[in-house]
Amino acid sequence: MTKEEALTQYLVDHQTGFYRLAYSILKNPDEALDAVQTAVCRALERQDGLRDTGALRTWFYRILVNTCRDALRHRGREIPFPEDLEPSREDPEPADDTLIRRVEALPPEMGMVVKLRFYEELSLKEISQITGQNLSTVKSRLYAGLKKLRVAMEGAEI
Amino acid sequence: MKEFANAKENYDSIPIPAELPDRVQAGIQLGKASYRRRRSRMIRRWAATAACLCLVLAGLNLSPALASAAANVPVLGGLFRVLTFVEFDDSEDGIHYNVAAPEVDADSDLAKKVNAAIQGKVDQHLAKAQQDWDDYREAFFATGGTEEQWGDREMDVIIDYEIKSQTGDRVSFVVTFAEGWVSSYEERSCYNLDFVQNRDLTLRDFLGEDWTAVCNAAIQQQIDESRDADGFTYFFPPDQGGFTTVDESTSFYVREDGAVVVCFPKYSIAAGAAGNLEFVIQTPEG
Repeated sequence: MTKEEALTQYLVDHQTGFYRLAYSILKNPDEALDAVQTAVCRALERQDGLRDTGALRTWFYRILVNTCRDALRHRGREIPFPEDLEPSREDPEPADDTLIRRVEALPPEMGMVVKLRFYEELSLKEISQITGQNLSTVKSRLYAGLKKLRVAMEGAEI
Repeated sequence: MKEFANAKENYDSIPIPAELPDRVQAGIQLGKASYRRRRSRMIRRWAATAACLCLVLAGLNLSPALASAAANVPVLGGLFRVLTFVEFDDSEDGIHYNVAAPEVDADSDLAKKVNAAIQGKVDQHLAKAQQDWDDYREAFFATGGTEEQWGDREMDVIIDYEIKSQTGDRVSFVVTFAEGWVSSYEERSCYNLDFVQNRDLTLRDFLGEDWTAVCNAAIQQQIDESRDADGFTYFFPPDQGGFTTVDESTSFYVREDGAVVVCFPKYSIAAGAAGNLEFVIQTPEG
């Protein structure tokens, strides 16, 4: 199997996962579909950048996450919601609200780390490679996120 | 972490739109085509240095769609050929241009008219892309983006074409104009040409006098079939901008098997999630 075939196979086989991640970041089906299509297109265009097919997932998720970030930024331009640009530093939701909603209310970058860790079950190292942030930034975002979520961390494997 | 078990379950049950596979396929096709052109350009550069082979190569079509098209054309005695008149793959000022625009090579007014129309659209698309990119960059920095975050981001500007079918005297091809960055904007133009009669072909030529009724019935049936179990469809109702009728301006192309495919621009009669809006209309003979 050539690299391109392996990549194409991977993209076809895991598309629902890509869509869920894009949707969870963008919260809009149309934009999530656009993001997946654009990321898939970019991946094939830039397949020479993929050196190790064993690292396919991390490599592609990075493209997908960056495409979603671009879409968020673009949206900020098209529909100005000034209150969204500077997320509130307060706890987003009362503690008795569901965890799902509290995760959704996290500031985007923090929410992304939490979702990648607990929904996509990626390691901190992988998240660091995907988001392009160094490991300590990822760790501190995750801890800050969990603190905001008021999830007990004792003994939990992060 | 058990607190997340529920949340993950919820995440894993995010509904998947039915058109996802088509959108992934579209991304794969666009990406592969773009990758091939990038590579073929590198090969051509090498050839130009090594020898003047490039004269031959430039005349041939290097993109896969074109190579197969060229194979179908009689080399001698054909009335026309469709060639790539402009092809470049390069980055400039943050924009990655991936352009393969066609030209009809025939000694006729029809060819001149079509080539001028395509050239106009190419110019317009490149200007629009530049404007979109400039606006985006301005907004990026105006909203607090830094040079570091900007990094090496690029916008893709793609012009590509595909020959859908051709015979000795007729050709049907579609030119795609796309921008790929934060959203995937795409516009398509269809050309159906007859070089014996020297004119554009119309839906009437393929479907007869009743072409409007034939198209409308087939399209309506396909819209009805798109409804899911709950009666939901991405197509808008007729009174809310949805499909009402085809007319002289409706785009279409002709497939290799002779079927006519009517195309509507994305977003025109359905939500964007429905993707490219294409309807296969069986011809009376077909």
